[in-house]
Amino acid sequence: MPKQPESFLPLSQATYYILLSLREIRHGYGIMQDVEEVSKGEVKIGPGTLYGAMGKLEKQKVIEKATVQDDDRRKYYQLTDLGKEVLQLEYKRLKSLVENSGELIKEMEEK
Amino acid sequence: MTVKKFRLWIAPDITKEEEWLTEMSRKGLHLQKYRFFTYHFEEDPSKSYRYQIDFRQGAKHDYFQLYQDAGWEYVTESIGVFHYFRTESTRSDVQKIYSDSQSIQDSYMRMRGFYLLIFILFLVSQLGVFTSWNGWPRYIVIAVDAGVIMLYLRLFYVFNKRINFYKRS
Repeated sequence: MPKQPESFLPLSQATYYILLSLREIRHGYGIMQDVEEVSKGEVKIGPGTLYGAMGKLEKQKVIEKATVQDDDRRKYYQLTDLGKEVLQLEYKRLKSLVENSGELIKEMEEK
Repeated sequence: MTVKKFRLWIAPDITKEEEWLTEMSRKGLHLQKYRFFTYHFEEDPSKSYRYQIDFRQGAKHDYFQLYQDAGWEYVTESIGVFHYFRTESTRSDVQKIYSDSQSIQDSYMRMRGFYLLIFILFLVSQLGVFTSWNGWPRYIVIAVDAGVIMLYLRLFYVFNKRINFYKRS
């Protein structure tokens, strides 16, 4: 039986940005650059950490190899349908977390 | 000019080995090749590199390409599983190979698994010697084996120490 997307949550900050970067087909270094840019420099992933993470995510069928012509040295990746679901579920989870707590945190700060 | 240095390190001391290579490079001696416990350095006082070593079995070209893209130049390897990379010390934009403690821990666990397999193969290979040899050569073999086993136990002790360290952080 394939794994349920819920079972992957919560995602680490790095994994969330990795999956987000795969809104387009990218190779490893492209992912590293996109993560740094989108996170405004908050998250920087080393190549060894990324390589290990990609191997795991591929095994879990969250991402898959994408075929890109004219570049046989680099491995390109894309999200699977499962991966898209995981990313969207995590987004919803984080959003409701922030929304549900926003007022309360504000009250705490005002005290 | 090439300078050769013989030096032994145990695998879990990979960070100390990296620091040593980086320090050597700061003095103008840059690792070029590693063969049979011997480090071959190329002398050039005008350069200085940061060195990192990565344990990876079955590394293919997408692995080396990723490291190269990320600014890590491939230098040499040891027994096909330890890969030596370097980057110019002045480059502050180049990320360390591992950016979180989980992946450092994973790498020590992969290393430990690799050495555990070698250790088991070694033990199995010695069973034959124990059962088939008689007389004094047997005691020599037992003495040597005991030494090797102690060395491996020490190795696993250090591996576990490292793995536990990164588990906590």
